Amino acid sequence: PLFSAGSRAEQEKLLKLSSTLYIGNLSFYTTEEQIYELFSRCGDVKRVVMGLDRFKKNPMWFFVLYYSRKDAENAMRYVNGTRLDDRIIRTDWDAGFIEGRQ
Amino acid sequence: KRRRVRSEPRDIEDRLESLITRVGEKSTSSLESNLEGLAGVLEADLPSYRSKILRILSDCVTRMPEKTTIYTTLVGLLNARNYNFGGEFVELLVKNFKEYLKNCQFDEARSTLRFLADLVNCNVISIGSLMNLIESMVEVTQEDSIPQVRSDWFVYAVLSCLPWVGRELYEKKDIELDGLMRKIETYVSKRQKVHHSALRVWQSDIPHPQEEYLDCLWAQIVKLQGDKWIERHIIRPYLAFDGVLCEALQHNIPQLTIPPHHDECTYPFPFVVFRFFDYTDCPEGPILPGAHSIERFLIEEHLHRIIDQNYEDRKACAGALLSFPGKHKLPIEYMITEVIFSQLFTLPVPKYLEIFHGSLILELCRVQPSTMPQALAQAVEMLYDRLDTMNVDCIDRFASWFAYHLNNFQFRWSWDDWKPAANLDPLHPKTKFMQNALQKCLRLSYQQRLVELLPEELSHVIPKLPTPYYKYSSEGAGSLPGTMVAHQLASAIKEKCTPEEALLLIKDLPNPLHDDDVEPTHNPLKIEVFVQTLLNLASKSFSHCFAAIAKFHYVFRMLASSEEAQICILRSMFELWKNHQQMMCVFIDKLLKTQILECSAVANWVFSKEMAPEFTKGYVWEILHLTIKKMIRHVEKMQTELSEARVRLQKAEEDDEDSGDDSDKDIPTEEMIERKEERYDTAQSDLKNLFLIIFQRFIMILTEHIAQCEAEGKNFKNFWFKWTTGRLLSVFFQHHEQVFKYIGTLESLLFTSDIDQNILSIFQQFCALKS
Repeated sequence: PLFSAGSRAEQEKLLKLSSTLYIGNLSFYTTEEQIYELFSRCGDVKRVVMGLDRFKKNPMWFFVLYYSRKDAENAMRYVNGTRLDDRIIRTDWDAGFIEGRQ
Repeated sequence: KRRRVRSEPRDIEDRLESLITRVGEKSTSSLESNLEGLAGVLEADLPSYRSKILRILSDCVTRMPEKTTIYTTLVGLLNARNYNFGGEFVELLVKNFKEYLKNCQFDEARSTLRFLADLVNCNVISIGSLMNLIESMVEVTQEDSIPQVRSDWFVYAVLSCLPWVGRELYEKKDIELDGLMRKIETYVSKRQKVHHSALRVWQSDIPHPQEEYLDCLWAQIVKLQGDKWIERHIIRPYLAFDGVLCEALQHNIPQLTIPPHHDECTYPFPFVVFRFFDYTDCPEGPILPGAHSIERFLIEEHLHRIIDQNYEDRKACAGALLSFPGKHKLPIEYMITEVIFSQLFTLPVPKYLEIFHGSLILELCRVQPSTMPQALAQAVEMLYDRLDTMNVDCIDRFASWFAYHLNNFQFRWSWDDWKPAANLDPLHPKTKFMQNALQKCLRLSYQQRLVELLPEELSHVIPKLPTPYYKYSSEGAGSLPGTMVAHQLASAIKEKCTPEEALLLIKDLPNPLHDDDVEPTHNPLKIEVFVQTLLNLASKSFSHCFAAIAKFHYVFRMLASSEEAQICILRSMFELWKNHQQMMCVFIDKLLKTQILECSAVANWVFSKEMAPEFTKGYVWEILHLTIKKMIRHVEKMQTELSEARVRLQKAEEDDEDSGDDSDKDIPTEEMIERKEERYDTAQSDLKNLFLIIFQRFIMILTEHIAQCEAEGKNFKNFWFKWTTGRLLSVFFQHHEQVFKYIGTLESLLFTSDIDQNILSIFQQFCALKS
């Protein structure tokens, strides 16, 4: 959702190599700690990045960065579509988190 | 036009593959007519696509063993139409079978043997030649100085093909079959079963015996023999083609020598059959086949197969399990539940990620909301009731899954049923299980939610609020040494001081270790003031904490100069975050990754006196295991780097000889490779050392415990002993691949005959997995 530049083919190539997931549809109150706990069940999490709503300062989305592609694939398989804070989580591939891009 | 001609054969090949692999799936016409039609199509294509068809069919043998009888029937029909093709296919199967045995691909070998056996029923293979083959397999039990796991596998493979071909053997080769059964009986009765105890999910046989797998299968086969080899589960499409098939000519399996044992062979581990349901647990539906009926074995094996095929797609997996053939005659929800838990609780380690089982169960509940949740709730009750003798690792997996599951159901549970646990010993498995599960619930949710949901009586198992305890701001902090400096440091950090400035502030703190003779290696007060002040300021979230570690990495490095100093860091952290277990786990993880902490320091801290009250808590072991895994990954990384460098150098040398071209700048020098070798060796010995420390500490505390209890005239086999020996076993099990490399060292250095038998036996049970 945050693509800034590059051709479509390039983006697709990046997506196939990526170990970063975009996490959406969460509650405003969901914390980084909860994301950590759930996504660590699929592998070693390198980083969790929280995206804040510019005005209300509520978390709007998260990025989960894994060390390995395989772990991210497992999160797509087993976490996507299950619940956290009673809301159904949506996970999607991201071409890779870049600091300051959002 | 040209393109079309070229692509046509490919199209036909793809079509053939799809026709063959999909036969037997849901269809408007009967299986028999589909098979007959397909046999016709394949026969017509044989002249041009013979090798392709052979390859597809032989792939089906190992990739879809749950459809064995469908494909044996197809091969039977083809053999009746084209004898040569039948011969070629049998030849290919036998060749594959030998390869599988040679390459230790035992699952594939077992599927192939079953296929060969069922081809007897389809009149493709002569019964005498099959009998020869299985007799030669059972002969393996007579081989000298082989591991038991080898002969076990051969007997298991033979026994597990008998449901398919037993009746035929009974009718036509009864004397030979009796002889075979006697040989197997002798073998089964003489086996060593040291591993049995370690691999059990429950130590108790009440209410259901937890049987060793070969003993169980043997009992099931003996019962099948008693039933005159008639079973009621296998679908046998060939029966409809009796007229065609009995006309066909048979082939012989050639005499085959079983590839001998060598040191590189790895055989499957033995296992224990997981049992927790019987027919009384599902009174309303159809009857659950008994534990020793062959149907139980066949259905469970089939369900495991479905999971193996679909574990990457939980929706497809749930769908396939729930549309199990013949499900109307079975309490299928119960059988599925039992199979999933048997996988989750597999020892030494589960085959798939734990979360896979959790997400599969959610999917089953979603698709079958009228029946699945009930079977599941019953299962949870039973697991809870039987916690007393449950394996410690399995208790962890149960708690972790349960929290995950509740998280998807608003944490609703009939908590009132568990109120009686309020009066139990704090170390009782039920108390510990609830504490552990609720800690995991807390991590997925928040504390207030748990307080509102749970009855008052259970308030003692609800986790405390995970807030930091900063001693320099507590009452009476004024009299503590270092309080002044701590406050100065806090304001400096708030005003974004540099790491150097922070170091300068704590520079003059007195050293409580100071002694006139020896200069201490570190200053505990400095560490305490710095670590607690920094972490307290950064306690808002993980991100704040990670940022603080990153910014003050230099200070941590300066302070963590020795192992003692590193343990001091851990102690200071623990004091602050005692109630925030998850924070402790991620903090230690981060400090290991940023190389502030060494793995051995964490291990020694876990076993230290200060941690004794925490020793039976789950998070401590989470920390120890993440530390070990970190070290293992490091060794693997060093190994990859080394071998990649070697390949690059070798390639460069070869290229050099060819062309003299030196354009590749990444060519490592001999010297660089030597350095990588050194780094790899160091990493390897660090890992070995880490395991030695851990096992030595285990032996020490267990020995102390036994001695102390005996001195006080108490039974040493109390709850503490159960938890600690369970944790020892789980270090063996969770890292079994690594630990097996040090078996020799461990045997001669640590697990020697002069240590207590209760400790030694855990090591011996572990060794039995491969002996």
